[in-house]
Amino acid sequence: MEQLTALIIQKVPALAVAPWAVTLLLIGIVAFIILQFAMVFAGFGTYLERKIAADIQGRIGPNRVGPIGLLQFLADGIKLILKEDIIPTAADNHLFRMAPYLIFTGSFAAFVVVPFGFSLIAADLNIGIYYVMAVTSLVSIGVLLAGWASNNKWSMLGGMRAAAQIVSYEIPVGMALIPAVLIAGSLSTQDIIRSQGGLLGIFGWNLFHNPFSFFSFFLYMVAALAETNRTPFDIPEAESELVSGYNTEYSGIRFGFFFMAEYADVFVVSALATACFLGGWQIPFFNAASLPPVWANLLSLGVFMAKALALVCVIIWIRWTLPRLRVDQLMRMSWKYMVPLTFFNFLGVSLWVLVFKGKGIPQMIASIFG
Amino acid sequence: MSLKSYINDIWEAVTTTAKGMRITARYGIDVKEEVTIQYPEQRGPVFERFRGFLANDVKTCISCNMCVKICPVDCISLEAVRGADKKMVLVSYDVNIGRCMYCGLCVEVCPPKSLTHTGGFEKSMVARDEMVLHFIHEDAEVIRQRVARQVAEAAAKAAEEAKLAESQPKPAAPAAEPEKK
Amino acid sequence: MSATIDQTALPTQEMTLNMGPQHPSTHGVLRVILRTDGEVVVNARPDVGYLHRGLQKIAERNPYGSFMPFTDRLDYLASMNCNAAYAWAVEKLAGIEVPERAEFIRVIVCELNRISSHLISFGSFTADMGAFTPFLYAIRERERVNDLFEEICGNRLTYNYCRIGGVSADLTDGWLGKVKEFLDYFEPKIDEYNNLITYNKIFVGRLANVAVVSPEDCVAYGLTGPNLRGSGVAFDLRKDEPYSVYPKFDFNVCVGRGEKGQLGDCFDRYIVRIDEMRESVKILRQAIAMIPDGPVIAKVPRVFKPAAGECYFRAENPRGETGFYLISDGSANPYRCQIRTPSYVTMNIFEKVTEGLMIADIVAVIGSFDIILPEIDR
Ligand code: SF4
Ligand code: SF4
Repeated sequence: MEQLTALIIQKVPALAVAPWAVTLLLIGIVAFIILQFAMVFAGFGTYLERKIAADIQGRIGPNRVGPIGLLQFLADGIKLILKEDIIPTAADNHLFRMAPYLIFTGSFAAFVVVPFGFSLIAADLNIGIYYVMAVTSLVSIGVLLAGWASNNKWSMLGGMRAAAQIVSYEIPVGMALIPAVLIAGSLSTQDIIRSQGGLLGIFGWNLFHNPFSFFSFFLYMVAALAETNRTPFDIPEAESELVSGYNTEYSGIRFGFFFMAEYADVFVVSALATACFLGGWQIPFFNAASLPPVWANLLSLGVFMAKALALVCVIIWIRWTLPRLRVDQLMRMSWKYMVPLTFFNFLGVSLWVLVFKGKGIPQMIASIFG
Repeated sequence: MSLKSYINDIWEAVTTTAKGMRITARYGIDVKEEVTIQYPEQRGPVFERFRGFLANDVKTCISCNMCVKICPVDCISLEAVRGADKKMVLVSYDVNIGRCMYCGLCVEVCPPKSLTHTGGFEKSMVARDEMVLHFIHEDAEVIRQRVARQVAEAAAKAAEEAKLAESQPKPAAPAAEPEKK
Repeated sequence: MSATIDQTALPTQEMTLNMGPQHPSTHGVLRVILRTDGEVVVNARPDVGYLHRGLQKIAERNPYGSFMPFTDRLDYLASMNCNAAYAWAVEKLAGIEVPERAEFIRVIVCELNRISSHLISFGSFTADMGAFTPFLYAIRERERVNDLFEEICGNRLTYNYCRIGGVSADLTDGWLGKVKEFLDYFEPKIDEYNNLITYNKIFVGRLANVAVVSPEDCVAYGLTGPNLRGSGVAFDLRKDEPYSVYPKFDFNVCVGRGEKGQLGDCFDRYIVRIDEMRESVKILRQAIAMIPDGPVIAKVPRVFKPAAGECYFRAENPRGETGFYLISDGSANPYRCQIRTPSYVTMNIFEKVTEGLMIADIVAVIGSFDIILPEIDR
């Protein structure tokens, strides 16, 4: 950001009187772009979800609004905005209004460190992964608030379940991401991606770095599914038991916020998995830095989005296949299976990095053959 | 929990999930499996025996009242008067499709098979009385008067004929009162 | 896997929850009053009666034949079975001889309807468990059965096909061929369902050892049908009290085997239904091969007045024993018509088996008993 400001001031010397204004403006623009992206993606996510669900179930899915139903999400959005925003009389008015924003903020703030491309990132924080873990925790507060403030017993059960679930699955999520951090030696998402480049192609990815990181990827996906309340871990929403849980009482655009946050979450999860295990925007056998910056960015953006979207599709595919766990089974799975396994992986990767000086299996094989 | 069952649990969870996902993926990729009918444009087959809205061919209806009697929910109502040729003439024949459950009992009992099911099933209305299908569109009073006139005429004619034939001064039976069913 | 409540822990407060009458998983308008301690159910009391329509009284107000369409509304997922059961009951009362072809047709449509009813039971059960896709697969298969029914009787849900003394119309040309086609299509699908969901680890985990009903309890509480057989009691009216032409067919009575947990748990009741679909396919294949020619309805007078007397007839319906108790006083209307419906009887045991389960298990129990509300409330 500072560089960009400096660049602009250099180009337009008249702005030098108020460099902070330029920075502020830039931040505003970037935030706007990110927000727009997140919204559009949330819309597109719903479309994708419905289309894939329909395909799996032998149906057609949305196909009336726009070409092959692509504009369905706009219609949905307009509908949600025009709907009456009902607040139950017995609800805690302020908390009830606040909860969707908290959830929304929690999931959208994570977009800041999503590395879309070669240099396309809102802020390359040096604590990127840690930051994501921290801001997404906001969601659990929001969910708990939503459940509590609705003054509905089903919602409260949903909120409680959600809070318990998110808190317990945060541990395996964090632990499963650590291998990538250890291998790259940095918490910054861009650094992690850069460490996966090189001439090894897809074998440079952390996924293939060593057996532990390979399993970490799958553990991360499972734990992240649980953290975002997706099937088979969607017990806080569980429409067949809890009648949608914490968002039962919400309507109109507030309900829309929950919806958007869910899809934003799904994207963040996929993006993080892509960045940490699937090489992010790295184009196999190709050094993006050797291109002019515009092309490098566009190309890497395409690669990153393709990978992330593929993961989103897998998450949706899982949702339409599996039944839902029970709440005690979910907790058992977290504490008895996920946590020990991720810790085991964590230990394994640490030892690997220590013993082999950070070299992965493909690298070692490559060095054998010269 | 032994280590073996622990690992077995994980293994089972992974393999059974993979099995299920293979099936859903197959359906997802195979577009031939789509069974949706895009309703207003595409339509499913309407079978010959389909029990849609009722329709009465009032020309062949003999006003025998069988359909009214058998209907379990009393949704048919008819009124008929005895006409000049001793046959019943329908004054009104209404079916309340708001009540009808399309069971088909009335169609089955109809002796001349004048009452039938059509293939129709699409209808919308804004008022409740629009749900009553009228099969006689003339005003009931007009029919009643016309039939009474015809009956009277016929009676007069018969009386005249009888007078001519037997040259008896006494008129025949008085004009039949409109008979209500 | 009932969780126990540690009394020494922090004092907790019980919560009363209203599950239903508008709840997506109570299969209609069942209301369950839950008293829960957190997620653990202390007591679950079913409150029935939201769908009461007074069918038994309606029966007294209508001639015997005109009550037939109302039996459609008894168990709307298995209307054919209810139609046929009522027809058999009246025929037993009046001593009417039914042409053999009509009996065969009845058995064919009953077994087809059993398949479609079990499909819905399977589908809605998986949907309750959170897997929505099998539900749509089940609906897709059921549509084909509905198409078949529509072709012979003209309706897709409330068939009203049986008549006293036979069936309303003969089969259309080529209909049996279409049934065969359907069976060939459908049989492999059962394996597909098993692969897709039945043996899925999560699904098994949700069902195994939940709401175990012992065989003794089953008998004592009068459970019938798959719920009884799920507990390992091989009792099937088609075999044990044969009616119609069922003795001519060779089929097995499916019972629960305690495959994934204790005998009589939700999984056993579920798997019995899946197995029964296979048996129905078997019966259908035999019936199609054996069906004779002839009339489809006996000569029954228009104004039908059975002699004074009474009778009870029970038939094995998809949800269990459906019985009609008819008293005739010699007039055109039944003097009394008492209907015994399996779902209603099943509700008696509900409170007992749900003690100490989790809230999510209540949904599983309702689904595994495969109750249907119009039957409970009549
Ligand atoms: S179809 Fe049934 S309900 Fe409708 S008018 Fe005929 S007998 Fe009455
Ligand atoms: S049964 Fe047929 S002929 Fe008789 S009144 Fe009804 S429609 Fe007319």
